[in-house]
Amino acid sequence: MARLRKTPLAWKNLTHDWRRLAVAVAGIGFAVLLMFTQVGFQNALFDSQVKLIDDLQGDIFLVSRAKYALAAEKRFPRELINQARACPGVAGAYPLYTELTLSRLKNLAQGSSRKAYPIRTIGFHLEDPVFNSPAINAQRLALRGPQSSLVALRSTRSNFDFPLDDPARLAATPVELANQRLRLAGVFEMGTDFAHDGNLAMSAENFAKYFPQRVAAGDPLSVVDLGIVHVNTGASAGEVRDLLDQILDDRVLVLTREQFRLQEVKFWDDSTPIGIIFNAGKIIGFVVGMVICYQVIYSDIADHMPEFATLKAMGYSTGYFLRLIVVEAVLLSLIGFVPGLAVSSALYAILARATGLLLTMTAPSMALVLVLTIAMCIASGLLAVRKLLGADPANLF
Amino acid sequence: MPALKPLPATSGIFTGGQQIPKTIKVSHVNHYFGDGELRKQALHDNRREVKRGEIVIMTGPSGSGKTTLLTLIGTLRTVQEGSLKVLGRELHGASRDQIVELRRELGFIFQAHNLFESLTAYQNVNRAAELAGMDRGLARQRIEMLLTRLGLGQRIHYKPKSLSGGQKQRVAIARGLVHQPKLVLADEPTAALDEQSGREVVTLFQELARDEGCTIVMVTHDNRILDVADRIVNMVDGHIRSDVAVHETSVICEFLRQFPLFADLQTSTLTEVADKMMVEEAEASDVIIRQGDPGELFYLIRSGEVDVVVEEGGRRRKVAELGPGQYFGEAALLRDEPRNATIIARTNCVFYTLGKADFKDVLARSKSFVEELRNVLASRT
Repeated sequence: MARLRKTPLAWKNLTHDWRRLAVAVAGIGFAVLLMFTQVGFQNALFDSQVKLIDDLQGDIFLVSRAKYALAAEKRFPRELINQARACPGVAGAYPLYTELTLSRLKNLAQGSSRKAYPIRTIGFHLEDPVFNSPAINAQRLALRGPQSSLVALRSTRSNFDFPLDDPARLAATPVELANQRLRLAGVFEMGTDFAHDGNLAMSAENFAKYFPQRVAAGDPLSVVDLGIVHVNTGASAGEVRDLLDQILDDRVLVLTREQFRLQEVKFWDDSTPIGIIFNAGKIIGFVVGMVICYQVIYSDIADHMPEFATLKAMGYSTGYFLRLIVVEAVLLSLIGFVPGLAVSSALYAILARATGLLLTMTAPSMALVLVLTIAMCIASGLLAVRKLLGADPANLF
Repeated sequence: MPALKPLPATSGIFTGGQQIPKTIKVSHVNHYFGDGELRKQALHDNRREVKRGEIVIMTGPSGSGKTTLLTLIGTLRTVQEGSLKVLGRELHGASRDQIVELRRELGFIFQAHNLFESLTAYQNVNRAAELAGMDRGLARQRIEMLLTRLGLGQRIHYKPKSLSGGQKQRVAIARGLVHQPKLVLADEPTAALDEQSGREVVTLFQELARDEGCTIVMVTHDNRILDVADRIVNMVDGHIRSDVAVHETSVICEFLRQFPLFADLQTSTLTEVADKMMVEEAEASDVIIRQGDPGELFYLIRSGEVDVVVEEGGRRRKVAELGPGQYFGEAALLRDEPRNATIIARTNCVFYTLGKADFKDVLARSKSFVEELRNVLASRT
């Protein structure tokens, strides 16, 4: 308690010169912004990669062992779905078909480019409870018709210039998917990711018509991209997963929802340069912040050398000066963090609108950047404190 | 028991029997700056003692080592050779923790004020009180008392930016005194002050020395404040040239003035005489001088009483008793004759003695001496 009543020298020194404080806050805020941008983009990337998983209903997922990421077109035979369905504890198992390579969408409307752009097409059996999305579930009827599909595009800057907010005009827009006419019966929401420009959802029957080349010969629906398993109410997803893993052969991986998400994120984080690039970005932000923070604390010390030397002569110990600088560093990081956070939030909102990426300010990313900021300021404070410890009171007389 | 080395009378070693603890004991301290060929000795075999409650003023030209000695006493430099005790603790080889702890009992007043611009006068002074762990209320009272005494009562909560140079210096002085230090080390504390506030500062020093037993050592060239010194130390080229207890010196001068031959000497000459006198002690019934011996010393009795005994034809006759302030032994020196009487201590005594050469030298410098001498001699024949 006694310490609390003492003159808050760190705070007083920091706030004494408001111009210097403003520069310091701007600098540290900038470093905070840099780190937030990196963290935000990285999260947006990962979140949008797993957006499809989040939009699916189901407790356990079956994927081909070779499918290293959702975007990889590795499939497994449909029989495995049927086997899974027979497993105890399983309430239902449903196939999901996706197509990317063959899935090219062309807008034939007047004034549009008439070029074909890739889009992900998702096929499902309309009676299967595979989607969470209320928009899809509500528009199942519309998907019954031939050539019917729902479309989800990123909100702005798409290659496709569809009148998404007007269902009537949208339905009238002439489009071709894989060189066959398609009718856009409605829209649904699915955030874009780095691999896909948009999504189409349609019935499995239509899917088979559009992409007969999926298999060399035979039923295009005989190979499945994703198996979705619902477990019985009360059954443990983990236990059922273990059981399925034993029953099904090695061609598929059996994953719980959490495992599936992790595997996907892990792929983007570890196996692509993206994770490294974003981590490098974070480190750069950290270093920039450290340099700025060091500069601020160092010049504060350098300007007050005789005063600090006097404190030393009075009998203030090394420990006191270390605490003083650490407190000053933490204060600086907190003062710098707030405006940095505000600007970053604004930037997230602007970028999210512009790109359709899922840029949101989440508690974990705030905590991460706050911890990084505090660490950065303390580290630079401890570097600068050597100057202070070198203050020689013998020169005062 | 005779002292191993005679001590100067003006060192104030004689305190009338009262033992006052020493705040500072400097013995055989040498200090060097630089290394190898550039190594230069800044202090040569410095020895000094400073008693509790004394105000010591150190003077000397710049580069004389007084500041070096001050920083050594203040623990701001490491003692290289010799022994230096401050507040009873040896500084030579002291650990960092011991030094930090000792520093909290010292008060520093530097030539520059070194106040934190971000703190008010009150907060700056409070830095020292907080460190000493003073009770908050007491600290408040004392800070307000000190600042008010120093003429800053209206500016207690001002920041240094709104204070003049002299006012800042006074805040720094309050900071050096607030935690009731046992020893205050000050470097030109009054240099930035006008006469009136400089006077207020030294009056405050005197009160602290008297009421709190605070010892004050200051380096100053400010002649206006020399009068507060109990002791003046003069340094030249790293040597302590003189270390004079002002009060004792004035006592000696008063005594000397009673000696007719010295009666009209200038005070400065008397002080020089006092400087040359040495302390000698004797126990009761010791024979100080013996009739017939050659005369070498002039004696001034600082304390105790002696009998003057004349031997005539084998009979000893006591002719007089002498007490404090009186003198004897001058006749043999003046006339280059053997002692004409024996002096025996009645009680334990302390004398201040002056050698024959010095005695004559002083007399030769007195213009009136020759006349006086004639008068003295004439009156005896």
